[in-house]
This record gives sequence, C-alpha cells and structure tokens, in this order.
Amino acid sequence: MGNVSSKNFVPRSRKFVRRNQKSFFQHKHDRKYLTSIMSAVKRAQQWATFARTWHLFDATWQNPFDSAQVIIKHLMGLHKPIYHPMNDCGDHVVVMNSRDIALPGDEWRKRVYFHHTTYPGGASWTLAWELHNKNPTLVIKKAVYNGMDGNLQRRHTMQRLHVFPDDKIPEEILKNISNQIRYLRPVPTRLDHISPEEVENYPKIVDYPKQYILR
Amino acid sequence: MAAFGRLAVNIGRTLISQESRRCLNLSSALRIKEIRETRDGKNLIVEGVTIPSPRVPLLVKNTARTGACPVCAAGLDVKHTDVLILSQFLRSDGCMLPRRVTGLCKTQQKRIGTMVAMAQKAGLMPNIAPANSRRDPKRRKDWKKFNTYFDEKTIKAKFV
Ligand SMILES: [Zn+2]
Repeated sequence: MGNVSSKNFVPRSRKFVRRNQKSFFQHKHDRKYLTSIMSAVKRAQQWATFARTWHLFDATWQNPFDSAQVIIKHLMGLHKPIYHPMNDCGDHVVVMNSRDIALPGDEWRKRVYFHHTTYPGGASWTLAWELHNKNPTLVIKKAVYNGMDGNLQRRHTMQRLHVFPDDKIPEEILKNISNQIRYLRPVPTRLDHISPEEVENYPKIVDYPKQYILR
Repeated sequence: MAAFGRLAVNIGRTLISQESRRCLNLSSALRIKEIRETRDGKNLIVEGVTIPSPRVPLLVKNTARTGACPVCAAGLDVKHTDVLILSQFLRSDGCMLPRRVTGLCKTQQKRIGTMVAMAQKAGLMPNIAPANSRRDPKRRKDWKKFNTYFDEKTIKAKFV
C-alpha cells in the first residue's frame, strides 16, 4: 500500500476499507457480520443448554427415598442455572437395578402402601416387600412421585423417569445416556465375593486362646 | 522416699511392658488344638493335636498400656459392612465366639455381636453359616430376600 498517500486518501470500495481501517468492526454492517459468525457458536450453545440430557442411576443397595431427592433434582432441572418453574428444562433419568434397592432396618415389613378402590370396603394396605414382590419398580417410582409437589407438571415430569428392575435397558434408551448420577451409599462387599487369599492375609485383631479347639 | 520407691516400680513396669511389645517370643508361641480322627483298620484314633495358630504372623499388636481390649486398642470404627473384621469373631457355622475366647470388653463384645447379626441379616457373610442354610441371600423367604442395611447408631451397647 505504499502508493496510497495518507493525505488525500478516499476509500473507493468496501473491500478496500475493510483491509485498511484499524478498527475492523466499526461499521454497522461489519457488526452484523460479526454476529453472524458468533451466532454459529451461540446456536450450538443454545441447543446444548436446552437439550434434555439423559442421566443413568444405578439403584443397587441405594435407599429409594434418599435417591428420589437426587432423581427429582435432575428430572425437574433444578440443578441447572437456567431453572425456572415456567422453563421446561427437566432431564431424563434412567434408573437401573431397581430390584436391588435397600431399605434400612425392618422397613421392608413396616412401610405400608395404601390404596382405595373408592368402593365401600375397597381399602387395602400393602407392605413394602409385598409391593416389591409384585412390581420391583414401584417403590422407587412412588418415592419420586411422592417426593414432588402435587401440581399439573408432576405427571409430565414423571414421564421422564424410566425405571428398570435389572440392567437390561433397551438400546434406544441406552444410546441417549450421557451422564451417570453418583451413588449415595457405597455398595457393601460380600465375604464370599472376596478372594480366600485376601481373607486369609487380612490383619487379625484377636487370636485364639491356647487351649481353643478349632471348629 | 516413697516417691523414690514409686519411681523404681514405674521404671520396672515400663521395662516389663517394653519386653512384652517385642516381636520375639522367649516362651513357646501361641498354640491351638485341633481334633483329628484317623481310622486304622478297626480302631478309630481320636487325638487332640496342638498346632501353631495361623493368625500369629498377621496379628495386630495390642500396644495399649491401659489394658484395653483388642478392638478398643486398635481404635477402629467398625461398621456392619466390615465383613473381613467381623468374620474373625465367628465360628465356622456363623456363631459368635464367647467373650472368654475373644477377650473383648463387655461393650465391644455386645457391639461386635450386634454387627455380626446385622451383617448376617444383610446377607454379607453367607459362606459362614450352618450347614443347612440356603447360602444365597436372594433365595431367602419374603422380605429377607431383599437388600437391607443398618445404622450403627441403633446399637444399644455403646460407651457413654
Ligand atoms: Zn474394649
């Protein structure tokens, strides 16, 4: 650009101006050009923000009522910064191994589920272990349902919960999953699942007395 | 003069306790009995054989000078899921060993016993059980076949 003197410089074409001006995006048309580049990035971000994520939760040895609080948070989208009651931003949660949930103490035979058919004498009380025998997904489904406020959204939110009694999840659901919800309590190890060498070589706290007869 | 005597006694005690904390044994090592039955033609020979305990090399040293029981001295917060520890207090049929065998204090004996029961109800030690037991916890009856966990805070025996 040595032949262009700075004194009597008159821009002739827009292309020329774009190459020489110091501030590249000064003109209003140039700002529009910028936003068109950025929108390609922003559009993907917008999709990612409002897309429904699929979470997996392994219910093995988990308390269904403690787990329900975490599942509800993901189902309703409460964990997202964009959450608003009018903003439909809830995620899907896939619960696997619901047959292997664990209840504390004697709760399997103390917790009672009530149902009434609305006919006279139609009341029935089902113990938790009886309900779990009939349908191993119902305890956790009811825990999630009862853990939420009763409003018009509740049944729609429940549609995003998918509970499976074992680890057999249909392929079309499995391919959506992109996140796993961490367990709330560690799964205990059974003694017969530990190798005999490890059991034998584990440090011992007490020893047998001198005259003890092994049996 | 009395203080001087007490000092001498204390020094003597520390010497003795240091002696007992050594890994070397001057006396014979701990031995346990095993009943062996051998059939020699028509004769059945039943003999009690004294064999060295397999636990001796793995034993955690009780370094407490206060005479605390092994579990208290180890300073462990035992949970009912710690099957590797709880199984040490059991006979092969899953019964809890008595206090004269385990050498625990009353509180720990009760606590360990309760936690053993918890672990057995949760089906965590199915291989240490009576010969006629089902072994697989999933094959138990009614509510017993479902997973159950326990809270150690519900154990009544505890140090106040
Ligand atoms: Zn003790």
